[in-house]
This record gives sequence, C-alpha cells and structure tokens, in this order.
Amino acid sequence: MLKLRGGIAAIAFICLSGSGHAADPLAVGRQMLAEDNPGDLWVLRGEKLFHEKRGPKQASLEKCDFGLGPGKVEGAYAQLPRYFSDTDKVQDLESRLLTCMVELQGFKREDIVKNRFGNLDRMSDMEALVSFIGSKSNGLKMSVSLSQQKEYDMYKAGEYIFYRRNGPLDFSCATCHTENGKRIRLQDLPNMTDPRQMQAVVATAWPAYRGTQSTVRTMQHRLFDCNWQMRLPDLGYASDMSVALTTYLNRSGNGGVIDLPGVRR
Amino acid sequence: MAEPMKIRATLQGDVADVRILMLHPMETGQRKDAKGEIIPVHFIQSVIVTHNGKTVLDAQWSQAISRNPFLGLRVKGAKAGDKISVTWTDNKGDKRTDEVTVAAAS
Amino acid sequence: MQTIKIALLCTPVLVALGCASYPDQPTTRNIAEKMVSEAYPGMPPVLVKRSGQDRSQQICSKIGEMTLSQQEAAEVAQAARTSMQYPASGKLMGNWKVGAKLAYDGGGSRIRGGKVEKRKENGASCSNCHLLDPREVNAGNVGPSLAGYGAQRGNSEAIAKYTYEKIYDAWAYFPCSNMPRMGHSGHLTPEQISHVVAYLVDPQSPVNKK
Repeated sequence: MLKLRGGIAAIAFICLSGSGHAADPLAVGRQMLAEDNPGDLWVLRGEKLFHEKRGPKQASLEKCDFGLGPGKVEGAYAQLPRYFSDTDKVQDLESRLLTCMVELQGFKREDIVKNRFGNLDRMSDMEALVSFIGSKSNGLKMSVSLSQQKEYDMYKAGEYIFYRRNGPLDFSCATCHTENGKRIRLQDLPNMTDPRQMQAVVATAWPAYRGTQSTVRTMQHRLFDCNWQMRLPDLGYASDMSVALTTYLNRSGNGGVIDLPGVRR
Repeated sequence: MAEPMKIRATLQGDVADVRILMLHPMETGQRKDAKGEIIPVHFIQSVIVTHNGKTVLDAQWSQAISRNPFLGLRVKGAKAGDKISVTWTDNKGDKRTDEVTVAAAS
Repeated sequence: MQTIKIALLCTPVLVALGCASYPDQPTTRNIAEKMVSEAYPGMPPVLVKRSGQDRSQQICSKIGEMTLSQQEAAEVAQAARTSMQYPASGKLMGNWKVGAKLAYDGGGSRIRGGKVEKRKENGASCSNCHLLDPREVNAGNVGPSLAGYGAQRGNSEAIAKYTYEKIYDAWAYFPCSNMPRMGHSGHLTPEQISHVVAYLVDPQSPVNKK
C-alpha cells in the first residue's frame, strides 16, 4: 500500500446498505449515525466507570441494585422507574445511581449533581453510566409496571403534571405533545398520548447522543431542557416531579424495543 | 485525554469497511471561556491507520475537524482476521492507539 | 409471580382490602402539587412563583381532552378580558420591521443557574409555532398559518384591535388556547405587541406579500 500524505487522501466511502433514499437527503446521514453513534463511546466509558473502584469508599457500582438485585444490570433500565424498599421511594435510573454512588462509593450528592450534565470542558460520569446501563436493556421491551402504591401515585402525579399549565407562557407538556404531525420550527414533536409514538420515542431516547450538545443527554436533561424552554426555574435533579413524569412517559411507551443510546440533534 | 476509540472493520469481498469513532475536544482556538479568555487549540494532528502493520492512511488534520470525529475508510486486499490499527496524535503530544480484527461479513 | 397476583387482585371492588391502586383525583392533586412545590430547590422564590397557577391556568389544566363547561369558559374569558392593557400611546399598530425581528426571536425570560437570561427584551417566538412570512422555511405548525393574515382581513382599526387582544391575552377569545397570554404575563410589552400586530396586518409586511 502506498503511503498517502497530505490531508485525508484515503478514500472515505459512505457505505449504503440497501437502497438509497433519493427523496430524503438526510437518510444517508441518519443511517450512518445509527450505524456509528458517538454515544457508543459513552457506553464504553460508562462500563469502565461502573466496574472501577471509586470514591472515598473505593468501591465499584457492582453491588448497586437497580431493581433486579445487586449488580444485575441486564434488563434493569427496562423496568425503571420503580419502587425501592431500601429508600421507600420510586426512583428512575439517575436517582438510583445517585443513591448507589452516595451509599456504596461515599460520594457527596451535591458533587455528583453539580457535574450531572457534561459540557464542552468536562465530561459527566452520570451520562456515561446511564448510557452503559441503558444499553444493557437493548433488545428488551420497555416494561414499567405498577404494583406498589407509590408507583400508582407516581404515575398519576406524572399524568397530572403533564397537563399542568404554568409559567409566563402558560405551557404544559400537553401544549406541545398531544397532537400528531406538530413541530416547533423544524423540530418534530412526538404525540405522547399515542402509545405507538411513545414506543418509538422510548426505544432510542433517552439516553441519546445530541449533536448540538456534543455529548450524550439523559432523560433528566431532557426534562430540565423542556423546563428551560417553558420559562420555569432549573428543574431539581432526580426530583420527585421529574421521576413522576418519567414514570408516566416511560409507561406510555411500554412495549417499545430498547436500542440505546440513540442519536438526536 | 486519550479516551479509547471505537473501531469496527467488516469485510465486503476483499475490502474492509473500517469505521472509527474518536473522542476528542478538537478545540478550534476560537472559543472563549467564562472569563472571556481564548481556550487554546487542542486537536488531533495526525491519524495513521495500518493494515497488518503496513500504513494505509497517513492523515494530517487541523482544528477544522469537528469535535468527537468520525473517520471511515475502505482498505483493499483485506481478509478476515487481519489487524487494523489506528493511532492519533494531537498537538499537545497526546496519543491513542486502538486495534481491531477484521470481521468476516455476516 | 407476585406482581401478577397483585395485579389480578386489585380491581376497584377490592380497593377496600387495601390493595395498591390508582389514587383518586383529589389525592393525585395533593401529591402532584407537593411535588411541584419541591421541584425547584435552591431557586429564588420570585422565580419559583412561575410554577404556581392562577385560577385560569388551573381551569385550563384538564387531563386528557380540553372540555370546558360553559361556566369555566366564561370565567377564563372574563378574566382575560379584564386583564387587557393597551399601549400608552393608544397606537395598536406599530412598526412592522420591529415586529419582524420579534416574530423570529424565540428567546428571552429563560432561567439557568437560578438567573433569568440577560437580554434587552423578550422575543415574541411567533415563528416557533406559526408560519408568518410565506418564504420562511424555519417555521412551526403548532399554531395555524398566519401567512397573508392582513391581506385576508384588511388593516382596519377593528382588525388591529382584535389582533392586538389576541396576542395580549388569547384566552379572551379562545379560553385555554395553546396560545400563550403574551401580554398578560408581561412576556411582551404592549409596545412590542403593537409591532407584532403591524407585522401581521401592515400591507407592506412580508407576511402579506406573495
């Protein structure tokens, strides 16, 4: 093979499997992103962080119980949020990771919360761990179940909040997310009262790699970001309100086959 | 820095379709921090891809390449089991090498 | 196994036995409102107030279909009518060029790190939900298209007044509409609204050109 100098002289081909969609100019790009998602690098990082002995207690997260028993990560994401008897709360994945990072590893809650969302200068451990644990449910169906009273309460509270109008723009989640074929500028909006659309949503988000953010974003970030656009204050990380909404929305997407992390703009 | 890459190489006939995901800030030197000071350039300067030890790609990159770059290339004359190795070096002297074996077409 | 057992047992008839089941409306309301009040730790109280609800917002928070009784609709419309405020100058149609800038500005009043974003003024965010200038590709469809708005309706004082009020407090005409009450909350000033009215109504505005 000849040495090729000066710029990228190698032939960088776009591999098109199946027919190209001439009508949709973005189809090729979407397919490439689906096949090679930068989010996969967060999965690798998350796996490393999961097994690494960290924190003042120098412990790994291998004994963390995500609802299926200590250390069982396969299928854990698919059944979250759920009730945990040790904390007597309904918790989503990030809330549960907070519990384990504090209890098992000795981290301070405030320190984790401060770095929950990565930025251009610093990566977030949470985003990596969520990517890893989320990916361990790939191929399984979202199956949020309600059996404990607090799970029923959480679901109904989430539904109530979904329709709750507030803020200087009178927005609720329902304002933007209860009709088909709607978009804000050029951003399509899923109709969250349609189970089929919800199944498609929960299948590949959240976590998902967001191109505009150059990092994987999680469900907590999505809710935080919506709150920001609704002109409300910073949504409390892993707050009951955020877990309630997540319970309501994930359950609406029950049956969706998980394939995480996804890719978004 | 120097976070691991994700590389996959799948055989199509006698051509290995190689896809590489890299983690790198690729700072352009145009961004300002909270204090208003320029964040210095920090980018991958060279990428070398070898096939069974022989260099097949020797690229010189600039800060114009995006953050968390993706590189795809096709290597002729490949067989299942061949070694594809990728090494990047950045302007601070940081280096990262990852290797993968060419997988047979599924 | 256990989960299936509980699911089978918990029909509404057997709620009395103490099985887990959906809470009733008042209980849900208490639980949820408590959650909302605790959802913004460390935030300045004046900003947390934004997550409160006025009477109209409470009425408009129907779960599922937005079905209002006549009384509810009347109450919301009346509250909106009473809230109307007009520019001090009395001019309801301002400068369409200023309105054009506002229509495509989707920022303003957002909070990060407990602070409201620093800006000269809030944008009107019209293009987020509406098509206005028919040539604009980057426009949403949550609201109806407003392309040709003035061309269709003319630019009489009556139309200017209706348009102004619709933007200031849409609920005077459509109680619980998805349309934010732009003037009512102070998101837009009366002067700003007058410029947006001009952008919609002025025959010279691109909105009304082919």
